[in-house]
Amino acid sequence: MSKDVLVIGGGIAGMQASLDLADMGIKVYLVEKLPSIGGKMAQLDKTFPTNDCAI
Amino acid sequence: MLDVGRHPNIELLAYSEVEGLKGTAGEFTITVRKKTRYVEEDKCTGCGACAEKCPTVVPDAFNEGLGERKAIYSYFAQGIPSTHTIDADHCRQLNGKKCGICAKTCQADAINFDKKDQVIELDVGAVIIAAGYDVFDPSQIPEYHYTEIPNVVTAIEFERLLSASGPTEGHLDRPSDRAVLKEIASLEKQAKKSQKTLARFEEKYNESSASFYDKFQGGQYEGDEDRQKWADKYAAHLAIVEPLESLQKKAEGFTVARRLAFIQCVGSRDFRFYPFCSGYCCMHSIKEAIIAHEHEPETASVIFGMDIRAVGKGFEEYKIRGGNDSNVSYVRGRVAEISAGPDDNPVVTFEDTRERKVKNQAFDLVVLATACAPIKGMAALAETLGVALDPYGFIKTSPLSPVDTETPGIFVCGCAESPMDVPESVAQASSAAERAAEVVFQPEMKEEKAVA
Ligand SMILES: Cc1cc2nc3c(=O)[nH]c(=O)nc-3n(C[C@H](O)[C@H](O)[C@H](O)COP(=O)(O)OP(=O)(O)OC[C@H]3O[C@@H](n4cnc5c(N)ncnc54)[C@H](O)[C@@H]3O)c2cc1C
Ligand code: SF4
Ligand code: SF4
Repeated sequence: MSKDVLVIGGGIAGMQASLDLADMGIKVYLVEKLPSIGGKMAQLDKTFPTNDCAI
Repeated sequence: MLDVGRHPNIELLAYSEVEGLKGTAGEFTITVRKKTRYVEEDKCTGCGACAEKCPTVVPDAFNEGLGERKAIYSYFAQGIPSTHTIDADHCRQLNGKKCGICAKTCQADAINFDKKDQVIELDVGAVIIAAGYDVFDPSQIPEYHYTEIPNVVTAIEFERLLSASGPTEGHLDRPSDRAVLKEIASLEKQAKKSQKTLARFEEKYNESSASFYDKFQGGQYEGDEDRQKWADKYAAHLAIVEPLESLQKKAEGFTVARRLAFIQCVGSRDFRFYPFCSGYCCMHSIKEAIIAHEHEPETASVIFGMDIRAVGKGFEEYKIRGGNDSNVSYVRGRVAEISAGPDDNPVVTFEDTRERKVKNQAFDLVVLATACAPIKGMAALAETLGVALDPYGFIKTSPLSPVDTETPGIFVCGCAESPMDVPESVAQASSAAERAAEVVFQPEMKEEKAVA
């Protein structure tokens, strides 16, 4: 039995899932294919519907 | 992003891929390949000195090829981790040529050309797939001429043009104009070099090249080898300067793009490609038009779509605000063709369904709202993990268990499941985290989910 979780993909979905699990005290391995996490959202200038700056 | 990088419970394995999965819910063994960056992660400080000195220039994927980076690079400036990576396909040293400049530059002694991939095993109780989506490749739609007409760009390329940290620092410089400016820069460099050579002759013979050349062409100096060389160099110089001057004249008229067209459902709701609606593209076109107008108040945008789908909290209001405050108009209809027009202005051919007329309209720049496509590696990833896909190639789920794959203990969230925007991706992510936590906290519950 292992109490750790693997998350595949470090876009906004994978980052949020990792943070939620980590905050519950669960150890998370976050595997990202590219050199850095962030996914598509890191490429966006701002996001709708608030026009807040993306990450 | 920062929080993920520094959370004590998160071990970040970037530049890595899952290669194998064994076992069942609660007891998975995962094989992960940590690809070599040829840079020691614990030594690299992310200072960027190496990239500054690296002589190899490569199109920058983060900027959708609109900018350039070096063969040693950080994926983007604020990227986490900030460890640099050598692109083995382009690095000179790794392709049998002499270089190693980065290794000589690096103060931290972090470069290691012999570093190999590392394969590790992890024991986990649950897995969450959050591998996202790919932008649909619009070159598959011949009538939009995406590859042939430079001022037809995808919405994600347009995001990079809008971004202050992007290749144009947020100015909507058109790709065709940028290509001319690049050509000018390269010709100027060549002209400067040839001017230097000419200056040596001019000094030696105390005469301007132009006046010498007249005489030379008149037949003087026949048989004078040195002057023959001068004449050849001058002719070559003219062959650089003449096109340079005409391009410089052309560039005087360049302005940022102000007349923008946004074409909806490029690859979505199209039975040749994806019959589904990608959900977020109507909204991102409105957003991009609003931001472009913020940058440049004279901007006028036309959004061409079958209908505008603004189905989220605050979305309809956002759409109306775009129309009222940001000079955005909405035209109902599908665009039949985009063609090349004079001055590199693409021409959009569409049916105005209100007037029942086919019209042509020229724009400075056309933006394609491309479909949300499953990632290229999805079939392979699904096979490795033993999960089922839906007919389009997204992870298969069911309406009452939207984050459960068909394999117990493996969950999905975000665009790996289906097209969705950021708020929905985040909601699904929290939901998938919850489901995964149930498995690791309460193993007896792992097999069956209670469905309302
Ligand atoms: C032009 C454009 C503008 C948009 N603007 C907005 C907006 O303003 N507001 C909004 O709400 N939404 C917007 N969206 C939608 C938004 O991009 C998505 O909702 C969101 O990015 C989905 O996040 P994700 O984490 O599911 O996927 P992604 O962002 O695609 O992240 C997936 C991650 O997984 C990684 N990955 C892929 N395969 C593997 C693998 N095999 N192993 C490990 N890692 C892997 C990828 O490298 C990536 O880092 C826009 C979309 C586009 C195209
Ligand atoms: S490899 Fe060396 S020079 Fe390059 S960013 Fe890292 S520490 Fe700086
Ligand atoms: S060896 Fe040369 S080409 Fe390769 S990354 Fe280093 S500086 Fe660039």
